[in-house]
Amino acid sequence: MSAANSPAQSAPRQSERTRVLENRPVNLDGFVEEWPEVGMVAMDSPYDPRPSVRVENGVIVEMDGKQRADFDFLDQFIADHAIDVEATERAMALSPVEIAHLLVDPKVSRGEVLAVSCGLTPAALLEVVKTMNVVEMMMALQKMRARRTPANQAHSTSARDNPIQVAADAAEAALRGFRELETTLGVVRYAPLVAIALQVGAQAGKPGALTQCALEEATELELGMRGITAYAETISVYGTEPVFCDGDDTPWSKTFLASAYASRGIKMRFTSGTGSEVQMGYAEGKSMLYLEIRCILVTKGAGVQGLQNGSISCIGVPGAVPAGIRAVLAENLIASTVDLECASGNDQSFSHSDMRRTARLLPQLLPGTDFVCSGYSAVPNYDNMFAGSNLDSEDYDDWNVIQRDLQVDGGLRHVPEAELLAVRNRAARALRGVFAYLDLPPITEKEIEAVTYAHGSNDLPLRDVLEDLKAAQSVMDRGVTGLDIVKGLEAGGFPDIAEALLGVLKQRISGDLLHTSAILTPELTTLSAINDANDYAGPGSGYRPSGERWEEMKRLRHVVSARNPEQELG
Amino acid sequence: MADTTTRVLTLLEKGPAEQGRRTDEVVIGVSPAFGDFFSRTIVDLPHAEVLRELLAGVEEQGVHARVVRVRGSSDLAVIAHTAAKLSGSGIAIGVLSRGTTMIHQKDLVRLSNLELFPQAPLMDLETFRKVGRNAARYAKGESPQPVPSRNDYMARPRWQAKAALLHIKETEFVRAGAAPVELEVLIRMADAG
Amino acid sequence: MTLVVGVDIGNSTTEACAAEIGEDGLITYLAGALARTTGVKGTTENVAGVVEVVRDALAAAGRAPADLDTILINEATPVISGLAMETITETIITESTMIGHNPDTPGGAGLGVGTTVSLGELPGRAPGSPVICVVGAGVDYERAAGDINAATARGVPVTGAIVHGDDANLIANRLRRPIPVVDEVTLVEKVPLGMPAAVEVAEPGRTIRTLSNSYGIATVFQLDPEQTRMIAPVARALVGNRSAVVVRTPTGDITDRRIPAGSLTLIGETARRVVKVDAGAEEIMATLRGVRPLADAAGEPGTHVGGMFARVRDTMSELTAMPVGEVRIKDVLAVDTFVPQRVTGGLAGEFALENAVALAAMVRTSRGPMERLAARLRAELGVRVLIGGVEADMAVLGALTTPGVGRPVAILDLGGGSTDAAVTTARGQVESVHLAGAGDLVTSLIDSELGLENPGLAEEIKKFPLAKAESFFHIRMEDGTARFFDEPLPPDAFARVLVLTDTGMHPIPTRHTMEKIRQVRRAAKERVFVVNALRALEQVAPRGNVRQIGFVVVLGGSALDFEIPDMIAQAVAEFGIVSGTGNIRGTEGPRNAVATGLVAHYTAARTAEEPAHALG
Repeated sequence: MSAANSPAQSAPRQSERTRVLENRPVNLDGFVEEWPEVGMVAMDSPYDPRPSVRVENGVIVEMDGKQRADFDFLDQFIADHAIDVEATERAMALSPVEIAHLLVDPKVSRGEVLAVSCGLTPAALLEVVKTMNVVEMMMALQKMRARRTPANQAHSTSARDNPIQVAADAAEAALRGFRELETTLGVVRYAPLVAIALQVGAQAGKPGALTQCALEEATELELGMRGITAYAETISVYGTEPVFCDGDDTPWSKTFLASAYASRGIKMRFTSGTGSEVQMGYAEGKSMLYLEIRCILVTKGAGVQGLQNGSISCIGVPGAVPAGIRAVLAENLIASTVDLECASGNDQSFSHSDMRRTARLLPQLLPGTDFVCSGYSAVPNYDNMFAGSNLDSEDYDDWNVIQRDLQVDGGLRHVPEAELLAVRNRAARALRGVFAYLDLPPITEKEIEAVTYAHGSNDLPLRDVLEDLKAAQSVMDRGVTGLDIVKGLEAGGFPDIAEALLGVLKQRISGDLLHTSAILTPELTTLSAINDANDYAGPGSGYRPSGERWEEMKRLRHVVSARNPEQELG
Repeated sequence: MADTTTRVLTLLEKGPAEQGRRTDEVVIGVSPAFGDFFSRTIVDLPHAEVLRELLAGVEEQGVHARVVRVRGSSDLAVIAHTAAKLSGSGIAIGVLSRGTTMIHQKDLVRLSNLELFPQAPLMDLETFRKVGRNAARYAKGESPQPVPSRNDYMARPRWQAKAALLHIKETEFVRAGAAPVELEVLIRMADAG
Repeated sequence: MTLVVGVDIGNSTTEACAAEIGEDGLITYLAGALARTTGVKGTTENVAGVVEVVRDALAAAGRAPADLDTILINEATPVISGLAMETITETIITESTMIGHNPDTPGGAGLGVGTTVSLGELPGRAPGSPVICVVGAGVDYERAAGDINAATARGVPVTGAIVHGDDANLIANRLRRPIPVVDEVTLVEKVPLGMPAAVEVAEPGRTIRTLSNSYGIATVFQLDPEQTRMIAPVARALVGNRSAVVVRTPTGDITDRRIPAGSLTLIGETARRVVKVDAGAEEIMATLRGVRPLADAAGEPGTHVGGMFARVRDTMSELTAMPVGEVRIKDVLAVDTFVPQRVTGGLAGEFALENAVALAAMVRTSRGPMERLAARLRAELGVRVLIGGVEADMAVLGALTTPGVGRPVAILDLGGGSTDAAVTTARGQVESVHLAGAGDLVTSLIDSELGLENPGLAEEIKKFPLAKAESFFHIRMEDGTARFFDEPLPPDAFARVLVLTDTGMHPIPTRHTMEKIRQVRRAAKERVFVVNALRALEQVAPRGNVRQIGFVVVLGGSALDFEIPDMIAQAVAEFGIVSGTGNIRGTEGPRNAVATGLVAHYTAARTAEEPAHALG
């Protein structure tokens, strides 16, 4: 009988320590061997091209060992639109180590680096970062980040697409310090209601927090044009032709979409990340980082101000290969090095191990980026409709303590519970006012009460989904715009929130949010790479949390009072 | 207690896959390396057991099953849709070596499907049995409740890279333009000689 | 010429009718308009909706708001209704005597009788007497079939099998001698072993014959007349099944218990009666007829019905600022229904359709805060606002503008919460009544009888016809006709019963056939709308004689339903009454009756120089 030699008897004896280690969460993560021939390699592949460039009559005729006739559409787009033909031969004459020194050396200004980086080809950028370790990359990122003041972005979603929850969590997130808020849907048809809720909640939490709703491109654009959302981010680009073609797209079609946003003064950035091409089996034998650099340069060539990268939804792929997280840092650095705003990932579930989650975060948190997370889950991960984030609402206190321990600004702060409850409640009420004004399904007192105290959608009463979906359709059919939401807020007795939203909408006319790395302050003034340019020049310079902001960062949930040790400062 | 005997799968190619005539059949389309280079799914379920459960689910409903190998693609939608077009009922199940599964119907556009189970790591034998059962019920013109699809946001850190690797490996076995072949399925006990 | 707008504030819609009245009292109707009612009917929240509808009506009429002389509003009496359901029977199986569930795919066919033996004991069983094999959880179908074949070969006659998993066909297909197999028995470990038992499976498309027949069971187990009397409920419970198992245990039984569901106190103007809810709808309604007119009603505290009455009172009191103690229940409708419930003691998750009683109750107030509403309207629009008389009277006047209608006419307004009726005699006197039970009760019956637990979907089933997606390119409508499509249907519609709503086809995620869903829908409408239509007509008819009414005009949202007007027409046809959907002013269909009636009434009153009740 086969039961005779059971595996339990024949298995060799295992040490107790091995058993303990086997049970550590990190061993639930997946790790794979490199396979450079198919692109399963982070950034160090023998099959990546060698840097080269040749210009004839103001046109790049050879790039990275390939003649112009052999260019694929990405090569052509990058050669014609992303690389500064005037600067390229001079820049390419420098060795990768020399360029890396420019990046790391605090005495070399950001502007001086940009004068070189604008002429570098994809392979040259790759060679530069290959000479750098993660500490050097962090040094460089600290200088190359476009905006002086770092910021952070949150996800506010609901497993049940409950608009009241989205509004309350958006308000809490804005109050905790996030300056951009993003949502998406389980049931796509819910989008108009949830996008309205996100906008109302954001402005109720802190004026000027910008919002977006990730959807298929046409609807996302329409919500943006109507002023229901304030920016767009999920316009994906890829590093090889077949992956682009799989989505019926080209660099030119994405550029056209980008100009549609710009035509209405809407802030937008592209999205890309290491691992997407190999994940789809179309890596053409190139390293993940090389392909990502092509995405970064397509973004640059499209004239878009910024990029969300850092592997994003494919983080499990670079996360599984050697030096993968170094490559993820390198992609953020290169985006900043070619003068793009960088929303630097840390936005997808990454590891079972808390230690590894933190280690993956520090390379962006310590130097600071334009948005440290391009999606910190402001809801518990079970409610995160972006399939979970590296950090969620259960990590708030840890984040605040790390900021305080290291005196590093990750954009968040501790907020006393009374203030949180008040703002969650008010956001829900404001949304009720807007829904009533727009003749959308009513929000009950019971729902408002529940959402004020809720952690996630499990704590909330169920909505009448069919009624909500009908109403969502009517929002689209009736042509409801951001101004209608402003009127609804005013009519509902929330003139300050109405004022805040109107202020956000006015940016459409001034166009100030089209500048690189633009955010709005709570006073509704724009902070961007133009009026808040990164001036880091070594010790004693650049952005450092101080004054009021540092006092704010010192506050935690539990701090023993020095004056009266029997008390805690809340 | 669950049955723990090991079974061995043998898939014999019987020639080109024919267009089915029986309206009471479900075609199971397997990927190029299923039960061949690969013998297990991403979570180490033996392909012998996977196929056995799919077949049992179909048989239990009193419906006939036929197994074909789609050799020309490693894309699940292509495999399932190719099989559906061969199926007398128009209903087929497509299954990749790593365990990703789909129920398809011939009149649907390829990128659509009746039921999709995108997360291979969450596919257990019970689910495969239910997939077989539902496909058979569609073939009978009944209205089965879709098999509840599960989701786990921590599947990414554990399985994403391995899934990519398995996909690439499977794609290496694709023979462009090769027509699907009919398979004879033999599932034997490991110790039966 | 005087420009007036009549405005009817209904539960869900606010309707307007713009008209010009000549010096000679001649009315020229100009236009109608419709908007959603803002807030609860009869409260000041309605102002926004009224303003909108007046603006729309004037715009459609091509008249300037400045020319408006008077707005006429109806006396909108707030009507609040509530619903409750009490399950009043419970099926209990003791000692696991019966497995009466209906697995999709039992295996084999025929009847097998023998002693229950577990699969593990089969090898040790001496040849000779017949056995029924019980296959526990986790046993592979190949092993089960192998072991049964081995036992049969040894001379142990296995005559039937009871299986945990969904494996009946898989096992039956592998047996050398076919036997009936019942599967998906989730609590198979509780099947008593060593007891005489019978397994029966019918051919596909048929139902069992032996175990659903008391004498069949008596024959199988050789029962005497007294024992046969005892097992009669078992046989009854198995009627209509394709497969069944009966195990004969010394004290096993199945009982049909009535659950005490509390009582209902009905207080008439002269009498007061108490009726038990579990007595059923017929008894409750008979008691109600005995105390009519109803002055108030109360449910026993702690029961669903008691809770529902309390809820209705609270809502009305909140709305009208009337003390709770003064709110009176004015009507009750009880309907017998059934709800699928899990059988207590069942081994296979059996469901039984248990009896239940659904109750609707209704309260209304004499006059809501109409004066406040009128004053607010006047402030908002700066024109004269008149409260123009009782809603029902106005509806009758409006209904009379339907071509072909004469007196005496009755109107039926089938709404969401209540059924309203009014009749006018040849001399113009109007009798009206508001009854509990309407669209919401129908929705709730559909929801519970189909076990949907999705009121939104039940609402759609109520309002729209059904179809079955037979392929990706055609659907079969419930009337048997086919409809074809050029583009394939969405994948989630395939092979499902669909409800064809105005926002597209929605699949109904149940295993009920289209015929079953249709029958439940129609039966629910019969039991509520038709019953209430007759009840209402009976109460308003002269001397209670329905035959005295010549014409019935169906109005309101339900008049637009695709089958209710026909059902009512059929029901009243036997009284020699002409019934149909209204067509107000020959143009508006069943809408705008009250708004039109307001204009007609105002004109008549003005011509007779009766000062209307003016405000401000």
